[in-house]
Amino acid sequence: MNLVGARAGSATHRRRVAPAYRIVAVPAAVALGSVGGIAAEHAHSPWVFGVLGGALAAVLGVLALPSIPTRRVTVALLGLGGLAALRHASFAGTDRSWLLVLWAAATMLTLVLVDRADAETVPALRDGVPLSNRIAETARVAGVTAVVVIVAVVALVPTVTDRLGRHVWPGLDPNAASVLGAPASLKSSGELPLTTRPRPSDAVVFTVDASHADFWRGETFDEYNGSSWSSSFPRDRLDVLGHVGTKVQVAPELYDEGARNGVEFRQTFHIEASYSDVVFAAPSARLVETDKLLIREPDGTVRVAGGSGSGFGKGAVYTVFSRGIPVTEPKLRAADTTRIPGAIAKQYAQTPATTARVTDLAREMTAGATTTFDKVRAIESWLGAHTEYSLNAPLSPPDVDVVDDFLFRSRIGWCEQIASSLVVLARSVGIPARLVTGFVPGTQDALTGRFVVRERDAHAWAEIYFPGIGWQGFDPTASVPLVGKSTSGGSWLADARHNAASLAIAAVMLALLAAATPHVVTAARRRRARRASWSAAALHRLERAGRKAGRARAPAETPREYACALAELLGDDRLAAVGDTLDMALYSASGAPEVDRADTDAVLTSL
Amino acid sequence: MSASTSSSNSASNSSSAVSSGTVDGAGPGDRGPGAALRGGGPGHQGPGDLTLTSIVLFTLGAYGVAAGAATGQEAVVAVGVFAFTLFVVGILWPICSLARASVSVVGPTDATVGDSVELRIRVAAHASRLDVRALDPPGVWCRTAAPADGRLPHTATRRGVFRSVRIQLRTSAPLGVFVRTRTVRVALPAPIVVAPRPSVASAVLQPVPDERVTSGAALLVRGGGDTVRTVRPYAPGDPARLVHWPTSARRGEIVVREYEPPPALGVALVVDLRGPAPEVAASLAAGIGTATLAAGGVVWCGTFEDGQPVGEQVADARDLGRRLARATPGPSPEPPDGWATKVVHA
Repeated sequence: MNLVGARAGSATHRRRVAPAYRIVAVPAAVALGSVGGIAAEHAHSPWVFGVLGGALAAVLGVLALPSIPTRRVTVALLGLGGLAALRHASFAGTDRSWLLVLWAAATMLTLVLVDRADAETVPALRDGVPLSNRIAETARVAGVTAVVVIVAVVALVPTVTDRLGRHVWPGLDPNAASVLGAPASLKSSGELPLTTRPRPSDAVVFTVDASHADFWRGETFDEYNGSSWSSSFPRDRLDVLGHVGTKVQVAPELYDEGARNGVEFRQTFHIEASYSDVVFAAPSARLVETDKLLIREPDGTVRVAGGSGSGFGKGAVYTVFSRGIPVTEPKLRAADTTRIPGAIAKQYAQTPATTARVTDLAREMTAGATTTFDKVRAIESWLGAHTEYSLNAPLSPPDVDVVDDFLFRSRIGWCEQIASSLVVLARSVGIPARLVTGFVPGTQDALTGRFVVRERDAHAWAEIYFPGIGWQGFDPTASVPLVGKSTSGGSWLADARHNAASLAIAAVMLALLAAATPHVVTAARRRRARRASWSAAALHRLERAGRKAGRARAPAETPREYACALAELLGDDRLAAVGDTLDMALYSASGAPEVDRADTDAVLTSL
Repeated sequence: MSASTSSSNSASNSSSAVSSGTVDGAGPGDRGPGAALRGGGPGHQGPGDLTLTSIVLFTLGAYGVAAGAATGQEAVVAVGVFAFTLFVVGILWPICSLARASVSVVGPTDATVGDSVELRIRVAAHASRLDVRALDPPGVWCRTAAPADGRLPHTATRRGVFRSVRIQLRTSAPLGVFVRTRTVRVALPAPIVVAPRPSVASAVLQPVPDERVTSGAALLVRGGGDTVRTVRPYAPGDPARLVHWPTSARRGEIVVREYEPPPALGVALVVDLRGPAPEVAASLAAGIGTATLAAGGVVWCGTFEDGQPVGEQVADARDLGRRLARATPGPSPEPPDGWATKVVHA
């Protein structure tokens, strides 16, 4: 087989005679616009800009470079689009994979239309069968090819990734800069201050392959001192967990039935941030596959051993097998029939260092509740009814109990204050509780099924101990309304202001569309009319020849008058006969004879 | 290239041949009416041509699958599998389209070198679009959907009798990834006889023995002779200028003159294609023969056909063309006695 430039060599010549190439600009614009949108998304720019930029480049490439054969242009666009798709698909940090699907569909259409346009430039076989309708053929081919592609992708991708893909991968070696540049929510510190305001970005920190969504737990905290949380367990006297190959067994916590006998749940984490030393996992991790050395704290927190800089770098992959018991409300209510183990009560149910009025408030909240579950629900309901969520909430003054300040003064806070309040209030009435930090599930990518987790998905929630079940997560923030949401009026205006850029772009596009639509419709009508009528097409060719010669047809000029004028101008007497034929075709009942039409076509072609 | 002729009386039977040029020495063959003299292949020896699109798709596919598999990124693998699937579909689709294609062709029975002829072609295949052309020499591609009937232009570039033609089919539908090309040899229901194109030559009109003339029609082409053979009674319709008045007066009835028929004129063409320029010689022989026939003469043609010398008087120009089309290098027969002979050497 020979590698050739196909029939591209003569495409320059063909372009002039085959307007079929122009339609190629549409799918090419969609294809390049799609990958442009993905690229812009990763650059943290409005994806609409990327779409417009890519589409414009494709349209210019196809229509504005007549010296380059269309096939070559489309091959170049195909290569560029493909490389961009691969590049940005490798980020695995997008939830705009529908753009990737759009790119694939448009690329396929581009190929079909270019080849069809090539075919239309070849002379037809005399008395042969004409080619089928372009749209019908394209739809048929695209449908069949799409089915094959979908089957191949569905069948091969899991096979390839399972057999060849990595569920354990070391990733880049982190350096000092990558450790410093990583979000604090990914680094284990043993302490959670409540008096600093987080400013999370939209950057993707990791993605998770998992069969269902869950909260990705990082660290737990059991000691509250009024302004921060910390772990009461010593962090420097922990043994490194044993490795068997890449597998690290993680012992369950004491009295955690879910971690011992729960249902297994596998998750594979792909680190996209520059550094992370916390092993995130759905509660509770029992087996970790990684090349790193791990340590486990008595509260279930698993992290990379070796101190700062020894964690996962960008691109690292690890897999966690967790176990947990699926619960229902009746099951949780029934858990009170079992006594809380003494060690749990001693560690997690002691009254925290807070103010007396917080304790009184807790008793007041739970006065009507009979079970642990109902008490927790009562606290959540109170928080939902009396507090509001905002990352811009005022920070508590120094030397003031943060929970007290939140519950009695500001009543505005973010997840850390809200979850801390639940834990402190629960402990105040003897319920074992602890604070947990980690990430919410994130958004699920439509194409890959992965959960894309961003820095802004960092979260804090509470875990309550239920005898016979183990630790169960509660997210009180979910029931707390955003600041301003409870008041009516003006919210749509705020939303509009927030999305001003996108709205402006949409408005400009709509305006352009509205301006262009009449022209497009008129041109399409004219084109259709030309196709339908020989006389209209011939007259159009005559007018085009006249315009090229610098003599446009006057509105009141008949074809005969115009042709005679052109005959005189161009010194071509044949044009007079063309005018007669056109007049006959346009205005006589019988039309022009076939011979005269053929002569007219020949004359117009020679022009 | 040139060929030489030598005139002689059949008794002398002498000839000379001076020629130059190159030929492949092939006579009538089975390669198609337009078979090239050398290197007449279709230009596509393989199953087809990969296009630049295929290179791009293969590269994207291979890179995507390899990179995606190495990192476990499903999206990258998906892009790679997509590109690779298009690559495979783009190759298999045109191959399948032409796999069961069959072609039948009906051509004209007679043609002359240099003529453009039309082959009636029928393509049985299931293809949304394909290109078709005749080979030997490669003609212009014509597109059609299949199955289809149509007329394919072709130029006869070579003298001979052709019982088959080579037809080439091509398609890259639907993705333009792979241009599948297939060449089929099609047997013709009736052979195409391609006569040499007559070169410009003068007629040779020399008397020939009447008893050897087999075509009486040829003798009556041009008027009568000028020797009065006898007179006979007038019959209605006889022109008045033929009335022989003295005899009419003597006999008392109108009689008219009757002339002797004119003498037969013509030439015996001895075509010897054993030399370096057989096509030129055939063309020269066709020129002489055609001019002689057009001038009312008779032509006897001696050639070597089907492995044996053949010498016969030709009926007309088409018959002469067919004889020369069948002629191959070999010893020619002796011309008949009494004929003016023209020996054409390659």
